[in-house]
Amino acid sequence: MKIEILFPEICNLYGDLMNVKYLKKCCPGIELVATSLKDDPLFLTEKPDMIYMGTMTEASQELVIKKLRPYKDRIVQLIEENAIFLITGNALEVFGRAIENEDGTSIECLGLFDFTAKRRMMARYNSLYLGRFGNMDIVGFKSQFTFAYGADENKALFRTIRGDGMNRETKAEGIRVNNFMATYVIGPLVVLNPPFASYLLAVMGAECKELAFSKAAYDVYSTRIKEFSDPNRGFTY
Amino acid sequence: MGKLRYFAALWAAKLSVPALKLTGHNGTNYPGELAIKICPDFLKYIGKPEKIIAVTGTNGKTTTCNMTVDILEKAGYRVLNNRFGSNINSGIATSLITGSTVFGKTKYKLAVFEVDERSSLKIYPYVKPDYILVTNLFRDSIMRNGHPQYIADFITRAVPKSSKLILNADDLIACNVAPENERVYFGIKQMDTDRVECINLINDMQICPVCQGRLKYDYLRYHHIGKARCPDCGFSSPAYTYAGDNIDIHNMTMVVREHDDSCEYKLVSDNIVNIYNMVSVIAILREFGMKHDDIRRYMSTVSIVNSRYNVTKQGDIRIIMHMAKEKNALAITRAFDYVISQPGKKELFLMMSCLNDEKHWSENTCWMYDCDFEFLDNDTVTRIIATGPRAKDYKLRLLLAGVPEEKICCVKDELEAVDSLSFEDIDNIYILHGVDSLDIANKVRDEVIRRVREAEKR
Repeated sequence: MKIEILFPEICNLYGDLMNVKYLKKCCPGIELVATSLKDDPLFLTEKPDMIYMGTMTEASQELVIKKLRPYKDRIVQLIEENAIFLITGNALEVFGRAIENEDGTSIECLGLFDFTAKRRMMARYNSLYLGRFGNMDIVGFKSQFTFAYGADENKALFRTIRGDGMNRETKAEGIRVNNFMATYVIGPLVVLNPPFASYLLAVMGAECKELAFSKAAYDVYSTRIKEFSDPNRGFTY
Repeated sequence: MGKLRYFAALWAAKLSVPALKLTGHNGTNYPGELAIKICPDFLKYIGKPEKIIAVTGTNGKTTTCNMTVDILEKAGYRVLNNRFGSNINSGIATSLITGSTVFGKTKYKLAVFEVDERSSLKIYPYVKPDYILVTNLFRDSIMRNGHPQYIADFITRAVPKSSKLILNADDLIACNVAPENERVYFGIKQMDTDRVECINLINDMQICPVCQGRLKYDYLRYHHIGKARCPDCGFSSPAYTYAGDNIDIHNMTMVVREHDDSCEYKLVSDNIVNIYNMVSVIAILREFGMKHDDIRRYMSTVSIVNSRYNVTKQGDIRIIMHMAKEKNALAITRAFDYVISQPGKKELFLMMSCLNDEKHWSENTCWMYDCDFEFLDNDTVTRIIATGPRAKDYKLRLLLAGVPEEKICCVKDELEAVDSLSFEDIDNIYILHGVDSLDIANKVRDEVIRRVREAEKR
């Protein structure tokens, strides 16, 4: 069982890589395969059990878009074949139509999904996040320079309960098409949401009797849900 | 209109100074805040010293500034500085107001200012330093600073073209700011303790900035600090103008090399972070025109005030308060690294929770997953007491880091957590706290001391 981590040398901000490290702790048989910018991705020749990409700098987004552009058709094929993608933070934007800068310039992205991200480098957005994925609560954090506009709300990964979705006007958060899952939520999303970790491992077909440090993880999870559900608690920083 | 508004701002700010003194509010930014509120481009008009040195960067700004000012003052210079104020635009304005005449003419020929990286765009358009030293650029608060390249871009946009840069050659993020500016580099040559592979979770300089090939490090100290080269295109870290060399911790000496010249200095600290601060101060003062012999003489008489670390000895046990800035993965990693490098068995309190965030919303804990909690999976650490509002988060992160569960105690209330100390076969009790948790950490320390005394009586 393999998880391909795309470009961990640059897509590694905010503790995002701990998502896949946690899955390996849960299921030690998982092999983590790191693909660097100068490597050919594993997904060209195989269908990995999961493909993961985390948050990066704005300059790195351009490098990643350039690197992945020749493989666009293969990525579409993998999505159609139900390959599992987990994409966190601004890595999501790589798969949209474009990223627009405040000076009017624009970066063309892979164009797999119909949304545009708008950057405001002097207006960082920080928020807690409480949402739903199926019948499970999702907790996490957002910290970003961008909002995305134009995404199909029927293809949202999470339904937001508190906080904002892809932008301040929507409660639809992220992208879900087959098993392609992308969200602006940053950091250790999988660690902080043990039901979501269990879901991912089940979809992957991983044989894992119990999550790693299950009691401690659920303790943190339930505490955070309670905190984030408290209407007296501020949400946007 | 601009000048009229400026004088109104200046005089209102000047009048506020004695009022603040009378009410016991020395050292605030209020005069500068008031002046900028009345006249937004106040910094443009206020008189400035002929020579200005600015110090910016993620870590080491305060120590570097204080040492520079202390040495210059010992050498006979009158130095305007913001040591007792803040490092944002209102802090700089306050310094300039207090250092000026009633008509706004400066009374100083020389200034040394600590400048917050994110405030660069509000300061440098008006206050144009002759020299700007960038200590280093690391990950800091996720919410405020994003990532170090963001801060580097900020500085690049703000730095005046006329400023000469003094940059850390061992930090490829910091040394690439404002590429068109004149520059010199400082750094520390290879040390026995260096590695060639990074052992930290945070390493923000893994690829070549020219060809994106994987960088090789001839030596790597921590995170991305070291000397790198690209095997693919030949890019490499810049050569040192001022190089710390032959660091001898046992005899507390180092040699600073500069072209064909060199000078031996007495180390003011055995901590590598402070040795970097020393080399950077020497670089500033050499650029300013001081002779090595004079810098050495005055530097040997200055001390580094370490408000972030203090030790109380009670019987055979050392109780150590160690500040590790909350929500800052790198600062806390450096603290962990230091703690495990110290001799003896240890019990640790982890209480770096951001209490202010807890009052208003909830701490963003992503930093924990960037921070090397793995260092605490160490035989010399016999017990870790996770406490404060994020105690459960610490416990989960420690388990993920490989720390055995039997070593971890998780108690939300900080004072109740003292009950979890074992006092068995230990030499040190470390209390790792943040800025927000300093008060409660002091109470924990006092309670720990009381318990140690009681244990001694038994």
